[in-house]
Amino acid sequence: MDMKGIRDYVATCLTVLLILAFGIPVLARAGEVTFPTPSYTEQELAKVREWEKTWVGKKVSTENLDQVKDFLSEGVYLAMKNPKSFGADSLWFDVVPYRPYELSKGLIEATKKYAPNSKLDAEEALVNFGEGAGYPFPQPKNGSEMAWNFDSYTKGDTHYVDNFGCVVDCKTRLERESGQPRWDTYWMCRVDAQPIPKIPADKNPRGIFHSFFQKFTAPVDFVDSSMIELRYLDSHRDQDMWVYLNMFRRITRYATDQRTDTIDGTDLIYDDHDGWYTTTMRNTYKFIGRADLLAARHQPNPTSLLGNANTVQRVTGQGFWNGVKRERVNHWIVEVVTKDKNYLYSKQIWYLDPETWQMNFKTMYNRQGQLWKMYEMFYNEFPTVSGEKTTYLSAEHSLDYIRHHGSDSSYRYHKIGIDIPLEQYQTQAMKVKQYR
Amino acid sequence: MKKKLLSGLVLAILVVLIVPRFSYAINYFDEKLRVQGNIYNFSIFATNLHQDVSQYRNTHWGLFRTKGTINFLAKVVDCPDNSLNFYGMFKWFHEATPDIDERYRESIVPKSRRDFQNPTYRTDDWINELYADYYYGPWNIRAGKQVVFWSEVELIRTVDQINQLDLRYSTPGIDPWSEIKLGLWMLRGFYNSQLPGQLVFEGIWIPGDFQPLRMPLEGSYWGDPPGPPTPKHPPYYGENGAVEAQWRKSKPQTNLAHSSFALRIRGNSEVSFFKTPYTLDWSLSYFHGMNNTPATRRKYLGSPDPSNLDPNTLNGYDNKLAYCRLAGDPLPELPGHRFWNYKFYSIFGATCQTYVPSFGAVLRGEAAFNFRRPEITADPNVTTPDPSTAYSKPITGNATRDIFDAGLTFDKPIRIPWLQHEKMQWLGANGILQTIVGYFGEWRLGDVNNIRRTFAYQQRVQTGFTLTSMTNFKNNEWMLVFRALWNTRKWGYFTPAVAYTPGKHMRYTFGYMKFYAHDVWDFDAAHAKGKDCIFLNFGYEW
Repeated sequence: MDMKGIRDYVATCLTVLLILAFGIPVLARAGEVTFPTPSYTEQELAKVREWEKTWVGKKVSTENLDQVKDFLSEGVYLAMKNPKSFGADSLWFDVVPYRPYELSKGLIEATKKYAPNSKLDAEEALVNFGEGAGYPFPQPKNGSEMAWNFDSYTKGDTHYVDNFGCVVDCKTRLERESGQPRWDTYWMCRVDAQPIPKIPADKNPRGIFHSFFQKFTAPVDFVDSSMIELRYLDSHRDQDMWVYLNMFRRITRYATDQRTDTIDGTDLIYDDHDGWYTTTMRNTYKFIGRADLLAARHQPNPTSLLGNANTVQRVTGQGFWNGVKRERVNHWIVEVVTKDKNYLYSKQIWYLDPETWQMNFKTMYNRQGQLWKMYEMFYNEFPTVSGEKTTYLSAEHSLDYIRHHGSDSSYRYHKIGIDIPLEQYQTQAMKVKQYR
Repeated sequence: MKKKLLSGLVLAILVVLIVPRFSYAINYFDEKLRVQGNIYNFSIFATNLHQDVSQYRNTHWGLFRTKGTINFLAKVVDCPDNSLNFYGMFKWFHEATPDIDERYRESIVPKSRRDFQNPTYRTDDWINELYADYYYGPWNIRAGKQVVFWSEVELIRTVDQINQLDLRYSTPGIDPWSEIKLGLWMLRGFYNSQLPGQLVFEGIWIPGDFQPLRMPLEGSYWGDPPGPPTPKHPPYYGENGAVEAQWRKSKPQTNLAHSSFALRIRGNSEVSFFKTPYTLDWSLSYFHGMNNTPATRRKYLGSPDPSNLDPNTLNGYDNKLAYCRLAGDPLPELPGHRFWNYKFYSIFGATCQTYVPSFGAVLRGEAAFNFRRPEITADPNVTTPDPSTAYSKPITGNATRDIFDAGLTFDKPIRIPWLQHEKMQWLGANGILQTIVGYFGEWRLGDVNNIRRTFAYQQRVQTGFTLTSMTNFKNNEWMLVFRALWNTRKWGYFTPAVAYTPGKHMRYTFGYMKFYAHDVWDFDAAHAKGKDCIFLNFGYEW
């Protein structure tokens, strides 16, 4: 072999070695991305279908609850076992068959495109968060990756919904109502609504990650009040929030570092909004297993404060919805502990849907470790303006097990993927069509 | 009187029974018309009536006011870039204390009493706001009777001077601002630009409409007692009532020559200090309008000499009034002409608010420069029984002075771990104490010695501090509020109160007000010393 041959041979060997050293892991990782991720394998699904033959169409109530105890979260079981504590003679739900979600093409493509290169840094922050889109870790290995999956879902990128609900004192049966039409825009991690994956930097110089604008239509003394909140990509930066209170006729800036205040007297604190509203970086996450539980994933939304006969329903003074359509789904369970040692909750347990990575419910524990509250979110699939489908809340309730208090609400008039002018999230928007 | 009370009660019951049992506003015609309202009763019971005052009272009731409001919103055109709405808010009230307390009734000038008891001070008083609201792209025009809010800082108003206040019944914080402020007929325009800083340009033209400040009425709970001096038989009312009548008679006619103007630029900008980004909400404003209290008409001022008893001149009238009251003679009639003239001045203002991450708090500030504010003068060498005030000094003329006002508040939610403790969970407390600490300063520029002021006479600087704290219990059903003000001249007040919101409609607020002052002539608010009271405000929202 002459020198040229030796050089060629060495070059070829080096090339092969380089490919082996760098290419194979990348290819292997790319090969690992399987998405969508249905709740069950074929074999598991067959077993579920067998179980459904017995239970689908049946009404599960306080009386026969124990027969499905294994498929109920601790919070739901506790409430349904003690209906009078939550203002009802009996609590019940319907069992419906499991149906996988139809995810949008944009979400699938973005996940397949960006997930292979997703990684966490030493502080468990998602590297290049906001540059890509979709779920960063479709096959997560730990709780932090699951939390980032939760944070990356943009619910159709933009949406308008009308949230109306009641704060219920189940002992006195007194209720206070609230009505909040709301516009949301995700400025980054967008998968369905153009521009994808993010709004260009020249239109987003402040690095806004998510924003919402909310008006108040109830209670009557809050009518024509409104609120804007901006969450930034920078996880070290607090949110900015402005509230226009009609009774004071002023746009007031709010301090946002104190997020343990309750939302309008409900059982939720500001951090609980949408399950977890603040930056992922405030908590530590520990994956503690999977649980096959009944959850509301295809829940028609009611149009009345007391619900409707074919959806959820309740009587005045009842803090827990009846008539929920629950189906089985194999959740990922994550224990969440906030880094602030004086935080209101000693821990939270998130029950994440394996297909959307959103919480179907979460439970919150007080500092003594007692179960204190539960927040259960009922989802449904809604069409987007681009003809796709996305999941969004149709109703929800939260319970305080210590004080026997509840907050029920529902969502209507879903408009998803609509064009919301970015000016909607400027404080001047609070001056428009507010009557002062 | 009983008939009036009965009518009011029947009306209140009817409203409660007729309106729907849900707390959303009522909508008609596919939500093109929205109607909502409320009815409230606000009562005050005096706990510390001084003898100087108690001689004019049969009871300890200071206020028993029933008030109803109704507002509507009609969406006439509703397109994304082009819409037209009509908004109206109407009010009715009846203050019943003069009906139930004969001495109280006899302490107030009859004409003023009628207007005090009912919304008849001005013929359009029953209209709080009524305007057309037109949007075309970035433009917004509002025409009609409106109330403008330009303030950023709680309990402190420096730049927010377009609409004057009606302070005859209560203080801000009990009645909403929208009902305390006196609406004016105006044309108001906005241009929402997309320039850097999200600038909003606002212009206001008030074509001749003017409402002076409505100060507490002589003889009423918040007003001065009738006199001095004190007559021993009714009617008790006297000098302050006469001044009120003079000012009212001097109110300018509505005409274009009396127009007021205001301009404002509002922005939202991001700036960085030491690598920390701050989002600033700021505004710059200019207002040119009439002062809320009048200056004299030199032509009818008259000699400041005590021997001047000519009721056709201001000084003469005031002298004669004093003598008549001493002698028990009938009070002199006001002449046909006006003694007073409301004059123009300007205010240059600036406001700013931002969230400060290192403090976890919101900082708000505002400042106003009052340029050539009209004042009246008195000879500082004239001696009076009480040297700390000038109310009994003869008036020598008019002057203008510049005044600088500034306010700053620091608003921080403080977490109280004790209230968030497991053992306290039965309280349903949010465990957050919303705390606002405020500072207010006023500097009167130029010579202040010859300025005739009833309160703060010859004082150049005012410095005050405010504190507001509030926290919620039982999922916001109960709210505790504490407000306090302390002025460095040793006067102020504090008010603990509890608000109860049991359900969709009923609202209750119960509290106590304590006033203190080293010298009651230090400020108009210091004059409230001795007016300590408990109050109850309850009502029905629909």
